[in-house]
Amino acid sequence: MDYVVGDGHNEFLQSSSGLAAIIRIFGVTKEGHSVCCFVHGFEPYFYANCPSGMGPDDIFRLHQILEGKMKETNNNYKAPKCIRRIELVQKRSIMYYQQETSQPFLKIVVALPTMVASCRGILDRGIQIDGLGIKSFMTYESNINFSLRFMIDCNIVGGNWIEVPRGKYNKISRSLSNCQLEFYCLFSDLISHAPEGEFSTMAPYRILSFDIECAGRKGHFPDPSHDPVIQIANVVTLLGEGQPFVRNVMTLKSCSSIADVDVMSFDTEKEVLLTWRDLVREVDPDIIIGYNICKFDMPYLIERADVLGIAEFPMLGRIRNSRVSIKDTTFSSRQHGTRESKEVTMEGRVQFDLLQAIQRDYKLSSYSLNSVSAHFLNEQKEDVHHSIISDLHNGNSETRKRLAVYCLKDAYLPQRLLDKLMFIYNYVEMARVTGVPLSFLLSRGQSIKVMSQLLRKAKQKNLILPNVKQAGSEQGTFEGATVLEARTGFYEKPIATLDFASLYPSIMMAYNLCYSTLVNPEDARKLNLPPECVNKTPTGETFVRSNLQKGILPEILEELLAARRRAKADLKEAKDPLERAVLDGRQLALKISANSVYGFTGATVGQLPCLEISSSVTSYGRQMIEHTKRLVEDKFTVLGGYEHNAEVIYGDTDSVMVQFGVSSVDAAMKLGREAADYISSTFINPIKLEFEKVYYPYLLISKKRYAGLYWTNPQKFDKMETKGIETVRRDNCLLVKNMVTECLNKILIERDIPAAVQYVKNTISDLLRNRMDLSLLVITKALTKTRDSYKVKAAHVELAERMRKRDAATAPNVGDRVAYVIVKAETNAKAYERSEDPIFVLENNNPIDHKYYLENQISKPLMRIFEPILKNANKELFQGSHMMSKNNCTPNIGIAKLFGKQLSCIGCKTPISNSDHTLCSQCKGREAELYCKSIANVAELEELFGRVWTQCQECQGSLLQDVLCTSRDCPIFYRRKKVQKDMEQAKQELDRWNF
Amino acid sequence: MEVDSGNGVVERKQSIYKSLDESFEIQKEMYRGQQYSQIYFARLHLMRTLLYSLIPTWKPHLPVCTVLGLEQGKECIIVGTLFKHMKLKPTILDEYSKERSASPLVKPHNFMHSDDYLILEDESGRVKLRGTILVPSVYVTGLVVALHGKETGAGDFMVEDILEAGLPPQIDRPLNPNGDDKYVVFVSGLSVGSSSANPLQFQLFVDHITGHLGDEKEQGIAAKIVQVVIAGNSVEFPRGLFNGQNLGSKEQSKLSEPTKELDILLTQIAAGIPLDIMPGTSDPANFALPQQPLHKCLFPGSAAYNTFRSCTNPHSFELDNVRFLGTSGQNIDNLAIYSDASSRIDFLERTLKWRHMAPTSPNTLGCYPFTDRDPFFVEACPHVYFIGNQDKYVTSLIQGSDNQVVRLISIPRFAETGTAVVMNLKNLECHALSFGTQFD
Repeated sequence: MDYVVGDGHNEFLQSSSGLAAIIRIFGVTKEGHSVCCFVHGFEPYFYANCPSGMGPDDIFRLHQILEGKMKETNNNYKAPKCIRRIELVQKRSIMYYQQETSQPFLKIVVALPTMVASCRGILDRGIQIDGLGIKSFMTYESNINFSLRFMIDCNIVGGNWIEVPRGKYNKISRSLSNCQLEFYCLFSDLISHAPEGEFSTMAPYRILSFDIECAGRKGHFPDPSHDPVIQIANVVTLLGEGQPFVRNVMTLKSCSSIADVDVMSFDTEKEVLLTWRDLVREVDPDIIIGYNICKFDMPYLIERADVLGIAEFPMLGRIRNSRVSIKDTTFSSRQHGTRESKEVTMEGRVQFDLLQAIQRDYKLSSYSLNSVSAHFLNEQKEDVHHSIISDLHNGNSETRKRLAVYCLKDAYLPQRLLDKLMFIYNYVEMARVTGVPLSFLLSRGQSIKVMSQLLRKAKQKNLILPNVKQAGSEQGTFEGATVLEARTGFYEKPIATLDFASLYPSIMMAYNLCYSTLVNPEDARKLNLPPECVNKTPTGETFVRSNLQKGILPEILEELLAARRRAKADLKEAKDPLERAVLDGRQLALKISANSVYGFTGATVGQLPCLEISSSVTSYGRQMIEHTKRLVEDKFTVLGGYEHNAEVIYGDTDSVMVQFGVSSVDAAMKLGREAADYISSTFINPIKLEFEKVYYPYLLISKKRYAGLYWTNPQKFDKMETKGIETVRRDNCLLVKNMVTECLNKILIERDIPAAVQYVKNTISDLLRNRMDLSLLVITKALTKTRDSYKVKAAHVELAERMRKRDAATAPNVGDRVAYVIVKAETNAKAYERSEDPIFVLENNNPIDHKYYLENQISKPLMRIFEPILKNANKELFQGSHMMSKNNCTPNIGIAKLFGKQLSCIGCKTPISNSDHTLCSQCKGREAELYCKSIANVAELEELFGRVWTQCQECQGSLLQDVLCTSRDCPIFYRRKKVQKDMEQAKQELDRWNF
Repeated sequence: MEVDSGNGVVERKQSIYKSLDESFEIQKEMYRGQQYSQIYFARLHLMRTLLYSLIPTWKPHLPVCTVLGLEQGKECIIVGTLFKHMKLKPTILDEYSKERSASPLVKPHNFMHSDDYLILEDESGRVKLRGTILVPSVYVTGLVVALHGKETGAGDFMVEDILEAGLPPQIDRPLNPNGDDKYVVFVSGLSVGSSSANPLQFQLFVDHITGHLGDEKEQGIAAKIVQVVIAGNSVEFPRGLFNGQNLGSKEQSKLSEPTKELDILLTQIAAGIPLDIMPGTSDPANFALPQQPLHKCLFPGSAAYNTFRSCTNPHSFELDNVRFLGTSGQNIDNLAIYSDASSRIDFLERTLKWRHMAPTSPNTLGCYPFTDRDPFFVEACPHVYFIGNQDKYVTSLIQGSDNQVVRLISIPRFAETGTAVVMNLKNLECHALSFGTQFD
């Protein structure tokens, strides 16, 4: 019997007796059985340079000195021998072009992986060797994670199928893990299958998606030291199957049954937690997912169990009797910025937090589960405020059921997002392409992926990578990508866009830029290389050409891009949706990987920075953009026999926008293709200029800000594309986004500039007349810390404080998003004092500060759009009769309240005596007209009332239960509240007619 | 109430009128933050009690379950509210959707899609319904039904049979075949003030029914008209007049002119014949069903007559013990958007058999959020069931298993067709009354 094992995860373990590292591989078989494989015999090692003149005797001495030093620095090592052996091997450093094929290096094999670092330290500092003096050693490949080292040496990549042949493994007598199959074997007996053909299939991973609810105290965000975990909902799915096969919820206190769901109710929290632990063990998921589980749910459960003193709870991993621990980690990467998070290690299970993954891969204005599901799944999620959660919990079994349904939904949504965004496929493909374990992809940055590829390639070429000391950013920065000056304006002729396909990777390939081809300036003189064998880059660096020696990076890139082409070709052929998902994930992973190689060389705090490479790449890039511009403007001229003079209006990192002057999309496409072919022919292979699209019309606002209709065929445009325009910024209110989108629609699609202007005017007029839907004016900001730690007074922080004074139970807490609108206040009130809770505004009729919205919100983005189009944009848009403010609503607090309520005439608002009821004497006779207005108002509100409240019923998925949702991210939340209140008022006014 | 015909006086027939609008009136009820769950709950309660009483005669051998109590493979009956999941159903959230399609969507006349499916909900939960017996295109959200079937392995409910409430019991209609002919005239969609309305046509209609036209014989027939019912959409205002801004005097008159014109004509009718006027979508009335009576201040002239009655929509009354029930058409128009039938009359029949006039309210048809009742539940079977503002005049007579006989009438829009409908109270016979103003 032989096993095919998909590799999920591996790490080392010190076995107590043998004192050697044992690799554990966790995975699943094709049939879905979980496997734990203990791999013995793989030893940690690294390289160091071998000082010239070092003989076998010196090595022996070095061994002894090192051994002594190791024992000295760390007497915790109880191993009889720290340094297993030192070998002399023939290798070559990857750095700089060298003519010799190899040099002697020391391969130092140690007993335990942790010894690598301390041994490196000793060698770095230098040691005294008799006869040689103090020598400091340069170490190589000494900063590589042991499991990655193992994977590289055994040719195993993440998500790899591994075979252990019959007879080469032994069952373990006393099982150490909770896996179904458990055995041990020797590392050299593993057979790794490259993920191709039948081995490209996905393993049938078991995925557990869960969500917890806690009963917080009023006014506080749930805290594990006080607040109990009241419900845990779970959904278990097998990868590749549409429907979950387990759905259950564990509740504290009784809970009515839910159709199609296993409800388990318990009297104590301990039982809830332990049942969940048992579920995790029984289901034995390979991957655990959820929304914000890494920062909230997982640590909460563990800390809560700790508070309750349930010592046996945190044994959630696959290794028996091993506890899960929490560590604070910060993940920082140039691409994603710094993020603090908690790491909960769970042996043998990958945790995949959808929140983290989405934050990494998508730029959204809000990352709440509600807005994420609205964005990707196109549905609003019901949101129950945490103050209501406790009420529901303290109700009866029906209200707890209500909560359980909600909790279940939150557990199922991450699974649906996972499916919809094909995260597993994309991430497994990425792991396979770059050769790192799945868990690295979420917890580590881009550089580890490039590092892994580089190491693999270097191993094949007998090269080794030096361990560069972190030099910080001292090396300085280099000039970034060029952007050609933007000739702003509104172009009503087609603009052809010429794109460089994978520009930076192509440059690296074309000019053979690599660590191993870079010629050290000193060597350059010494070696006296013939000029036809080298390239001098625009920054003055010298690289040898590929005829002399081919670089590793170009080779990696070539393979990546070739693989991508293959994947794309296969994708075209593939019919099966699952297969397509895998292939599409792969081609995407390949593309991202190819692009990150350049970044790796430029990361000054990275593993192996080489600014000579990265600055050369960007300088070539700049040159190419300029070259393209020159060629286009020289060739496509009236003199050259073309109808018009071509004009380059803008150039970005890897694209150039050209106005050929022709008026049809078709003609622009023809010229674009011609230009692309012509210019490509002047470049070194594989740098290629491609023609892909035409923008028509095109609104160029400034550098990196533009909008246009995107055409790839002359019949019909594909879409509207915008870049750098306020459509998704989160500190803007929705009104800005709507106005910008609508204006662009009118300008670009309808080609009706006057209509766009009129629309702006109408909207401003609506705003000034208080006819604006309040939800469009709401601004939200996250309350990230307590008030005291904010240095400056901020609107949302001040508001949160005021709300706390009003009602501590519903006030936003740290971690919540605060929604506010800006209202009118005394003339010299500061902006932060004018923020107000939208609900409060609705209830008290506070007047909105129109001026703030005009000047601070809508004016700038609109001016940006209209300035290239209109001559006097400011005058056109923001001056005129529509700016006259007419309706100012009066707040029903303050003075008005003192005088009590006096009736006023419905027609003209003149105060009237109570006996007149409806109208003053002047307005009598206009009854029919005024009544029609009153009733029309009621009718409009009734219609809206019906639409919003039935929508909420639809979102919550029940007709018979009251809507509880308080999601402030929902666009209709405030409208719903407002219409309820307006309805009440309108009805009262209407009733005044019935005397 | 006399028609002067030159040679003597023709006495107009009379009949005894009893209004049954009470349940459609909203008096003390207020908007106090209540939601729609309560009306659904009230409906489920009413209808379920009814359906439960029918189950022993329908399938006595089967147990009745709740959605929660379903067991896989076990045959049973479940009763609950239907919810139709519709792919194409427009939602208010579309207004906020991020991407607009390049080409504007052509609004379909109906939002049906072949992927639509039904779900049954009771207090304990929801279950997806399967099977070919229950056709999603026929049923709508909000309807309460009893279903016979069993739970499948996938957790769905395979429907094998459906029990609808069926026609409600009917009070006996006075049968006097030899009695006098008495006519009721139905008209709808007068649309005074719209471009399609023809004032002459309406005047002809008024003159005809009041006996100012035609010879003695025709006047004799006119004298037998005992009731006129105007089923909604009597006026139409130009769009965009109610945008909250103060109106200039020109616009003020635009607003009052159609009602004034209508009042003048209605006064002529009310002077001679009892007149019921119901509000409709385009009238100056509230939007949500039940629409409340049009305010009398709109009709300073006709409201002075005690023959003029401003009624609710839906509207129910009895004339000489013949029971009438009808709407201005919104309930059926809405059904036609969210379900399918071969004709409007079929929808009419369906709602009677479902015992619910407007199951799609509040889901897609605006209605007042009642807290303890559902006025659209049809308790007693009417003899005449009418809807206004339809494309054409259609009528049929249906018979129930309990000897119920119901005259169904689809009243066309008068402004477009020039057609009113006349029904004989004696035998429920019906014919169209058309007025042309073209002289060939």
